Amino acid sequence: MTRICWRLVDVFCRLLEPGERAAVCGDFAESGESGGQALRDVMGLVVRRQAALWKNWRPWLALVGLIVPLGMQLSIASRMTTGQSATYLWLYANNWDWALLKDGGFWYGLVNCVPIVLVSCLTLVCWSWTAGFVLGSLSRRIAPVYRVLFCLMLVFGVLWGAPRYLDFLLEQIRRPESPDASDPISALAFYRHVLPLIVQTLLVAVPSMWGMRRGAAAGGFPRWVRAGLWSVAITTLTLLLIRESGLGFILRAFWLQRIWQSWPIRWLQMVVYWPVAYLILNAIWRHWHAKTLLENHT
Amino acid sequence: MLGEFEYLLLTAAARLGEKAYGAAMRQEVEEACGRRCSIGALYTTLDRLEAKGLVKTWMGDPTPQRGGRPKRMVRVTAPGTQAATEFYRAVTRASRGVSWETNRAGIRP
Repeated sequence: MTRICWRLVDVFCRLLEPGERAAVCGDFAESGESGGQALRDVMGLVVRRQAALWKNWRPWLALVGLIVPLGMQLSIASRMTTGQSATYLWLYANNWDWALLKDGGFWYGLVNCVPIVLVSCLTLVCWSWTAGFVLGSLSRRIAPVYRVLFCLMLVFGVLWGAPRYLDFLLEQIRRPESPDASDPISALAFYRHVLPLIVQTLLVAVPSMWGMRRGAAAGGFPRWVRAGLWSVAITTLTLLLIRESGLGFILRAFWLQRIWQSWPIRWLQMVVYWPVAYLILNAIWRHWHAKTLLENHT
Repeated sequence: MLGEFEYLLLTAAARLGEKAYGAAMRQEVEEACGRRCSIGALYTTLDRLEAKGLVKTWMGDPTPQRGGRPKRMVRVTAPGTQAATEFYRAVTRASRGVSWETNRAGIRP
């Protein structure tokens, strides 16, 4: 129990500024406090510190302007991706027959659907990563709270917000192919309840947490690099907002239809995949930097 | 005007002098009041006192008994001494003649 308490003390201490963390841990070591008492103390300090940060207007703006809309929009995008993937998954997994391997039509269908599913999954991962990157680069001190709030928003989005919104959307546009609970895919509990949670966790929550870590680390970059990263990140998130069936529904339904179909805008959409380029370039730079340091050392 | 806990911390820091730092001040306050002083209250109040210019804090050298971690050292500034003096005088003046000051049992049944 005591060991668990001290582990938790370490975890909570990480939420403090480095100087304060050292002083507080030193005080615990010197006073010989029990694990439970130290945990209560450090939790009290963390709560006070975080509460003090929320006296400012900026975290509230980030909550209302970024966490809530991005969490909701990503949940909608995740539900859309799940719906698309579920159709193909059901088609192949639930209707599997080894004889299909000998069928030319099967391979033709598979070659057509796999890239569609992969691209939509990659797009969702890139959007999520970018949302996390932006949130992580806002404030290092408040990032843990943003992380928790964003996760809560994703849970709310996948379980309640996005399904309700998509029902409303389908009702508004009255699509004849609107899915209902009696269709063979939605009738299966796995596709209705489990798959959305898996997609939301693997393609939204995990990449956004990863993006948050990278966003917090990007604070050390030169100003012009940060400005460039922010520009592509904001473009990506704007595309997320207008492309998916959230705000995009209103825009697409009216005046954006023609602009959206134009080639320059189609090319602009490639910016969504910037996290892939960023991570590759970052890995190359780190490898080259480590190699240079090693050569200089020897 | 200072708060009660702010005054207690200023008094502890003044009494400890050069040896005033987080853990030592906490012990001083606990001994003086006979109740627990939480680290959260201690460090947030120290921040407030520093923001008001009543104390100055800095990171000291790491010591082995603290696991190689530094202390947050505290020194009362001249405005801090003045604020604590005013608080003490105000409390002393306000307490003059009341039962707990003259050690009489002033509570009527």
